[in-house]
Amino acid sequence: MAELTTPALAAGIESFTYPGDAAPVLDGVDLSLAAGTLTAVLGGSGSGKSTLGRLLAGWLLPGAGGTLTGFLDLGGTRLRFTGGAADPRINPGSWGRSVGFVPQDAAAALSTVRATVAEELAFGLENAGVERAAMAEAVRRTASQTSLAHLLDKDPATLSGGQLRRLAIGCAVISGPAVLVMDEPFASLDRSGAEDLADLVRNLVKDGTAVVVLSQRADDLLLDADSWLLLTGGTAAMAGTPAEVSAAGVLEAAGVVCPRQTAGSGILPPVCAAPVSGPPALELRHVSFAYEGKRRRAWAPATPEAAAPVLDGLSLSVAAGEIVAVTGSNGAGKSTLLRHLNGLLRPTAGSVLVNGRNIGGQPAGRVSGEVGLLFQQPRDQLFERTVEREVRFGLDRHRRRRLSAALGRPTANDHGVAADRAARQALDAVGLEHLAGRHPAELPASQQRLLALATVLARRPAVLALDEPTVALDGHGLAVLDRVVRQAAAEGTAVVLVTHDHDYARSIAHRLVHLDSGRLQSAG
Amino acid sequence: MRLHPFTSLTAAGSTAVITTAAASLPLSLTVIAGAAFLAAAGGAGRRMAPAAAGILVPLVLSLFILHGLFFPEGTSVLAQWGPARVTAEGLRFALERTAQLSASVLVLLLCSFTISVPDLVAALSARGVHARFAFVLASTLTLLPAISTRLARIRQAQEARGLVITGGVFRRLAAFRWQAIPLVLSLVEEAGTRAAALEARGFGNSGARTSYREVPDPPLQRRLRPVLLLAAAAAIAVRLWQPTAGA
Repeated sequence: MAELTTPALAAGIESFTYPGDAAPVLDGVDLSLAAGTLTAVLGGSGSGKSTLGRLLAGWLLPGAGGTLTGFLDLGGTRLRFTGGAADPRINPGSWGRSVGFVPQDAAAALSTVRATVAEELAFGLENAGVERAAMAEAVRRTASQTSLAHLLDKDPATLSGGQLRRLAIGCAVISGPAVLVMDEPFASLDRSGAEDLADLVRNLVKDGTAVVVLSQRADDLLLDADSWLLLTGGTAAMAGTPAEVSAAGVLEAAGVVCPRQTAGSGILPPVCAAPVSGPPALELRHVSFAYEGKRRRAWAPATPEAAAPVLDGLSLSVAAGEIVAVTGSNGAGKSTLLRHLNGLLRPTAGSVLVNGRNIGGQPAGRVSGEVGLLFQQPRDQLFERTVEREVRFGLDRHRRRRLSAALGRPTANDHGVAADRAARQALDAVGLEHLAGRHPAELPASQQRLLALATVLARRPAVLALDEPTVALDGHGLAVLDRVVRQAAAEGTAVVLVTHDHDYARSIAHRLVHLDSGRLQSAG
Repeated sequence: MRLHPFTSLTAAGSTAVITTAAASLPLSLTVIAGAAFLAAAGGAGRRMAPAAAGILVPLVLSLFILHGLFFPEGTSVLAQWGPARVTAEGLRFALERTAQLSASVLVLLLCSFTISVPDLVAALSARGVHARFAFVLASTLTLLPAISTRLARIRQAQEARGLVITGGVFRRLAAFRWQAIPLVLSLVEEAGTRAAALEARGFGNSGARTSYREVPDPPLQRRLRPVLLLAAAAAIAVRLWQPTAGA
């Protein structure tokens, strides 16, 4: 499929260093993308994939964004960089017309000031001064290409995760760029969403676009790629066809997740005999919930439709030491269910019991000692200045309650020492102890996820609620997650995890339940 | 009839100017009634009422205290406490000013609550107004919801780790100190990413721009706008030449 003509985009990166950093983040990466080809850049978390993608797409500009030595070649025009003041400058607007980019967080690509999907799609064309008739035609064509035709009049702020990603892709391809770079496009999409996206990518490649997918998972679509480039520590460790790179057996060590690693391992026997005496660690009794009103912008007309119940008389009982996986498609209400476990959301009917005690009416902050919740987006969970402070947040308060119960009247020093120890142990458990002084925002996505997990583990909760825990984790991160969850269950923690990843759910859970139409059904 | 945003702005501005210049109590009351009716009919009444109260209550109170108690020209004294005299003339003057001011405030509020900001931004862009200005204007509406969503997420993350937020407004305000720094840092971080996205989508281009959104501007409205502006100018002129008119 690859043509032997001028590549649509080529890069020869000798090194790229962020301002203020001593070591380069990319070091020796060569890439050549021919029209009508699919290239996968694979690598574990922190391997430099996102930096490479943003550099290729003009989102990270050599000079202001960091020091680049090497070259970038767009459609035969070669720009050489030496890291000096005389280096050429990239105009991100005109570069962006040739190279589209879809970031990991698709919402970040949107203008946020357009009222409808159609206007958001047209934003880039408006800036380029395209006539309205041509814009309308481009919007129509792109919408049909990205299956957004029925959503053109919707407010972008009301789209689901999968729709948002399709919109971001539409915004990137509407100007007909020669190259499309996508960062982790399959993360958090359910199976049907991932299949739709794979079809879209295949069509773009067929129409002549050079597509680059940056990923830490060797997803199904990528098995059909023309070439794979494996990054480790910012260096191109290996390049070749998928078969060549797979055969070399280097993917696992680099932290790349290969789906067949987890597939078909079946349901494991319980980690410990589930104790049936006494009340279950967690019990949901006929829980119903509906959101009051849809989020909307001030100028959008109110949606007249009545809010449909997300949870509809749902019941679930989880024993201490048991791991229950809740599966369901995107938008089925899995996250909503988890937020009921620690009181962040309150059921409109029914009750939630933790260790036999109804948590109704208690603020979420009080329930947090018993129920630890890992949010779906780690960035929603992290807010402190350093990794250590992040794990320690609220521990003093929490420890004080526990210590007071255990020791009678402990000193302030006891609280501090106990909190320090708990924080250190939690960081040890997820392998981040060497990063205690770093800023959470500086960590790659997989480590942010593990840090969020450490903040939950540090409290030693009786119930562990994990929202899509595998998303954003690379192979190394998945191994840590697996170990931590099994260990917690072995120590008697009841674990409820929601995931769209059936293979993962089957590999770790004692019991699978499926959430559909607000109710749970046994799934295996 | 859907009003072009420029027509809404011109109508509101002209009405405010004419009402102020005419300084006629019946006209002011008519405008107040008209604005209230349109707000209710257009479904903006409930959102507009708190804003109108927030602006008008302190203004009206200060007008009545100032003119109701201290009006040197007043002769019909209704009550007196030392230097403070409540006079019939003072009360009437305060009432007139209140009606005049309320009419202008209500008309402008009605315009700001009913105007379609996307239409306004598109209309401004079509007239060659700088894209950055149009962006800032549109952001004023999207920023607050974005901040409150972000704030709610940070608060939930903190509650999930033991921060107990209960009690009244003051406790909640005190708890805000935990969220302020993470909120600002995350907004700054997002602004950096957003800037890269906007630049890559050609937002920084200096050339001519077009607008996808079509804002219909019927000929009747196009002719109405200069008439409204002329009427406002005429009202000012009459006021200047006949300073006592309507008073």
